[in-house]
Amino acid sequence: MKKRAYAVLMLVMAAMLICGCSSRSGRQKDAAPDAGQEAKEKVVIACWGNQMLDGYTQYLCELFPQVEFEFVLVTNSTDYYRFRQEHDDMPDILSVRRFALKDAVLLKDYLYDLSNTELATTYFGSYLDSYTYDDGSVNWLPTCAEVDGIIINKTLFDEYNVPVPTDYAGFAAACAAFDAVGIRSFVSDFSADYTCMEVLQGASIPLLQSIEGRKWRQQYESGETRALSEEVWLPVFENFFDFMEKAGLGAQDAAYPNRTPKDMFSQGETAMYRGTGADVITYPGRGQDEVLLVPYFGQTEKDNWYLTYPAFQIAASQKGMEDPEREALILDIMTAMVNQQGQDHISYGKNMVPYRKGVTLELMPEMVNLTPYVEQNKLYIRLASNEMFRISWDVVQRMLTGELTTPKEALDAFNSELAGEEPGTQIAAHIDTALSNEFDPEHGNQAASAVANTMRSIYGVDLAFMQACYVASDIYSGDYSLRDLGYLAKNDGGWPGLMELTGEQIYTLVETTLTMTNNRGAVCNDSTLYVSSGFEMDIARTDSGYELLGLTLEGEALERDKTYSFLIYGERDWYMTRVMEEMGVFRVDTTGPKAEACLIRRLVEEGGQLEAPTDYITLR
Amino acid sequence: MPVALAMILVLSLVWSVHCVRDALMKLTINERSYQMEEMVKQIRANLSSGLQTHWNLVSGLNNAVQGIHFENGQEGISGNIAHLENDFCTDLYGCRVMLLDEQGTAYLSDGPAGIWYDVNRLIDRKKRHTFVSETDTIDGSFLVFSQELDTPVTMGADRVRFTHVVLLKDIQTIKQYYTTTTYGGSAATYIIKSNGTLAYYDADEDDVIGARNVYKALREAEHVQGQGFDAVREQLRREGIAVANILLRGSEYYYCLTSLDDFDMTLMLLIPADAVAVSTMNMMDSAVRILAIFMSVMVLLLLLAAFSFASVQRSAEKVRIEQETNRELNRLRLEAESANSAKSTFLNNMSHDIRTPMNAIIGFTNIALKQNPTPGVRACLEKIGDSSEHLLTLINDVLDISRIESGRIQFTPVPTDIAAVAETAVNVTSGFLSNRHLRFSHHLEQPASRYALADAVRIREVLVNILGNAVKFTPDGGTITFDAVYLPGADEQHILARYRISDTGVGMNQDFIGHIFDEFSQEESSARTQYKGTGLGMAITKRYVDLMGGTISVQSRKGKGSTFTVELPMKTLEDGAIPGRECSADTSDLAGVKVLLAEDNDLNAEIATIQLERLGIQVTRAANGRQAVRAFAENPPGAFDVILMDIMMPVMDGYEATAAIRGLPGRPDALDIPIIAMTANAFAEDVQASVDAGMNGHLSKPIVMNEVVKTIARNLRM
Repeated sequence: MKKRAYAVLMLVMAAMLICGCSSRSGRQKDAAPDAGQEAKEKVVIACWGNQMLDGYTQYLCELFPQVEFEFVLVTNSTDYYRFRQEHDDMPDILSVRRFALKDAVLLKDYLYDLSNTELATTYFGSYLDSYTYDDGSVNWLPTCAEVDGIIINKTLFDEYNVPVPTDYAGFAAACAAFDAVGIRSFVSDFSADYTCMEVLQGASIPLLQSIEGRKWRQQYESGETRALSEEVWLPVFENFFDFMEKAGLGAQDAAYPNRTPKDMFSQGETAMYRGTGADVITYPGRGQDEVLLVPYFGQTEKDNWYLTYPAFQIAASQKGMEDPEREALILDIMTAMVNQQGQDHISYGKNMVPYRKGVTLELMPEMVNLTPYVEQNKLYIRLASNEMFRISWDVVQRMLTGELTTPKEALDAFNSELAGEEPGTQIAAHIDTALSNEFDPEHGNQAASAVANTMRSIYGVDLAFMQACYVASDIYSGDYSLRDLGYLAKNDGGWPGLMELTGEQIYTLVETTLTMTNNRGAVCNDSTLYVSSGFEMDIARTDSGYELLGLTLEGEALERDKTYSFLIYGERDWYMTRVMEEMGVFRVDTTGPKAEACLIRRLVEEGGQLEAPTDYITLR
Repeated sequence: MPVALAMILVLSLVWSVHCVRDALMKLTINERSYQMEEMVKQIRANLSSGLQTHWNLVSGLNNAVQGIHFENGQEGISGNIAHLENDFCTDLYGCRVMLLDEQGTAYLSDGPAGIWYDVNRLIDRKKRHTFVSETDTIDGSFLVFSQELDTPVTMGADRVRFTHVVLLKDIQTIKQYYTTTTYGGSAATYIIKSNGTLAYYDADEDDVIGARNVYKALREAEHVQGQGFDAVREQLRREGIAVANILLRGSEYYYCLTSLDDFDMTLMLLIPADAVAVSTMNMMDSAVRILAIFMSVMVLLLLLAAFSFASVQRSAEKVRIEQETNRELNRLRLEAESANSAKSTFLNNMSHDIRTPMNAIIGFTNIALKQNPTPGVRACLEKIGDSSEHLLTLINDVLDISRIESGRIQFTPVPTDIAAVAETAVNVTSGFLSNRHLRFSHHLEQPASRYALADAVRIREVLVNILGNAVKFTPDGGTITFDAVYLPGADEQHILARYRISDTGVGMNQDFIGHIFDEFSQEESSARTQYKGTGLGMAITKRYVDLMGGTISVQSRKGKGSTFTVELPMKTLEDGAIPGRECSADTSDLAGVKVLLAEDNDLNAEIATIQLERLGIQVTRAANGRQAVRAFAENPPGAFDVILMDIMMPVMDGYEATAAIRGLPGRPDALDIPIIAMTANAFAEDVQASVDAGMNGHLSKPIVMNEVVKTIARNLRM
């Protein structure tokens, strides 16, 4: 009898061992790539933006060689994780830049409570309090503060003898002075929802920080109200109308994409634009100009404030944390993400303000203005719920285009949208075939391959090349709303670049891409490799990374002297610029549909399905 | 034969005491939770009272801010805040003043300090907030008392509009409200926010919970008695206090949560299980020791009394006394055996039943001393007298400390002539000095308002305790000074009474000063061990001062002397609101006064009768309450001038008897005749109970004839 029971037990244990594969976000080991090599622990990190590919992911890979990281570039919204959770596919470590506790609380049951971890104790209490729910639990922790304000070209001010403003009256005078000499005083990328929201709030921070303003915000964030208070917000819209008038903003500004104001600033065509510390580094005026980041102006200098928000927040999925070893590993990785070294890797660590004890971030000279504001805590944290972004964009657009002409109209329009339902939540498409976006050395990333093939089909180009991690998750079979369809491949950092390339240039493109470092399109591990569409890549792992062995098209070596129509999908300003320089290409069209739009066109407008994935890579 | 009998008696008593001790210990352990709850209730009361005092201060600040004529310019604002701090933030309160403008900018006496990080905590619908603040805006940890101004105040060249006045109290200074020495210093204090996160931790040891989210940690901890944390929280929500025991890092701990709803915080005490009942155990041990000592003394007394009376007066009276004493002894033994039914019952019984025979011991010792005993017997009787006095002090102190710790003593201020309180303390102290060569100087300031809400009995006890120690510990030739001054309080309606008592006595080691208010603390030194004491006097004093919301501090140098400073806040009263002061009594002649003495105990009745008759008072005895009512009713008006009424009597107790006399139909004099309680029930609430029952005065046993005479004379308006 005992022997029989023992045999049954052994059978059960064997079956458990054989069938014991868990979901990807649970604890799992990758198969050892080579005999004798220990299998690595798999950890999936969802990256809010491609900035994290610029040294930050590399830093994590080097710090945790025992871990096989899977990085995906995800949509910058907490609601994106609701979509992942609905498919029981939450990544191990989450990151998000747009954050409001009001939105995040919906994920509370699925995320790990960090409140009693050593990691949480390293934060300043007042910051940690703003991430603490009513029951004392904490899911999200911030990295460092991104600082947002008005970037001015001081050299241009000096050239035209215009005093650098210290308050709103000075700002208005500067606008008039530059308008008089034919230079746009202030422009911004109002096509972006965050710019609409930040300038709307930034122009009225003293109102929003008043006791009444804080009371209203507390009520809004706790769900007690779903409407803007007229007492607080009507003057906000009044201020924005005045700001528009003084800065000469109108319908043409409504469509400015992210790059336009920066290009104008770099060419001396505008004196001021809304930007962040990172922008100060990236766009230093005409090259040698002295550039400053100044605060949003109030009626007096005492009323000036900078607008801030965490560069990003991180959280961990509850799933998989039952295993103490894996729990410790995830917490170690999260600690590395936000400690001094981690923060040094976030946008160079010199344009931000820390939230953690024991972290010191040196400010650049361009941001020296910030110091007294940090000391006085005059850093307004933007109100950044999902609906605030969406509705601010819509209302500000309508103000710029003249559809809304009075502050009361703008306030009513805002409140009307707040009271309504979020658009894009109805079922709009169906995907028949599920595809994994986990990298496989023999087949590559099948989900990314399907998306790349679909984009190549829609663009009608010969070949396409995209970074696989822009596909944010598995492609699940089933019904999709427009909003959720976008979540499959909607990262602001991904841009389509349409160009003509020779085979030789394509070789250069792939070789440059594989060896590139310190760039927002860099490859740091298998999950960040690029996917090719229409041609195949033969790549070898080396001690330092990856090496291109060859490119083939339908099994034949890619002809080096033949010209192909070519689509690159990836980071535009850092990556695409760099590889074009290496390839000697000077013309690129980036106005085509992005990946999200391609998916919607194929699945919703055409009623079709994604193209089938191909085996595009051999990784040795 | 008597020796053998005594030995048997002693052995029996030792065995009884041992049994009593075991039973008491079991009860004590069972009562851990209850005691802890009581303790925390008391701490909560102290803390609430202390915090409320600070809210009074904030109200004053609110009025001051609205009323001050502010100067223009930044220095003017800072200067005005400095003035406010000077006016309101005395050493007693240890705090800073902060004003907030409408954007949350903090202004301090040393200038603006930027946007206050905690400003978002003030933005709900409440006008007042209390919470712990630890931000970069101002260095340190503070308990914040924030008040939204009734009307915003604009000032300065920049027309800064202030919306809030904030009192920042250094959190270290609130320690006095929640610190307890009951658990041997092993109690850790947690101040917890409403969301369960830790706002402040205070203990000598590292935080054994070590969590920011305390409630989560408690929820995850193993509860020893199976009651989960959710049930504890439900109890906390329902009753405002909850106790449970848990395992943390392999050790058992008790925790007690109590919510301070008015201040949006919860207080938690975490105590190792081993330490929870240490104090009570000590107290029980002391009680048992005292019981053993008492029993031994009783045996000794019995033998000595028997010997003394046999040699001096072989009479039938002696036999009767022996029988009575034996009966009393037997009754006490039975009472002691029944004491294990409940600690509280035991303590209450001690209050009455030990004092009653003590009355007999002290009384008969005095009587025996007046019988011209031989020198040897006199020496014995004097030692008995000394030991009895010391035993009585021990009993009183132990009872007092146990009652304080159980939370049964409440601070009940009543209209009081506060100058008279200090004067009484001086008078009592003068009595201590009768056989000493000490210089006693006192300066008693007359307060601007003579009357205030205070507890005269407790203040007098505090002062007499300290003054008594000064007398005790100051060698002849030394000096004792006593100063009473009255300072402005938190507002116009309050004053701060400051009593300072200095002596040039033996002083204390610095190490001992830190423990002077601990229970059973006595300095081990040759200079002090010659003085008798229970080691409880200063502990009681400290508890009384705490109860009254005051502070006590001590400075001392070995061989140089000590200075005690007591500060008590009091609310002043209009002179017209005070009842007339008691007239002083002429104690010179009570001859001819007719007293009805209601006393069930024959010994006590005999002692009282002898002592009253020596003053020429005519005494009629009633053996219980019913006999007393009958004696009064059956005699015509004027037959008795005053009734001395024992309380605990068989058939009808003193309260019932008083009510019956006051309600006698057709006897208008029944409403007027002074009825004075004369009882072993000596606590403040017993005094109040006597008054409530319709009595005119209260005398505690063992009776002190001076007090008896004064009380009778006062009630007869002599």
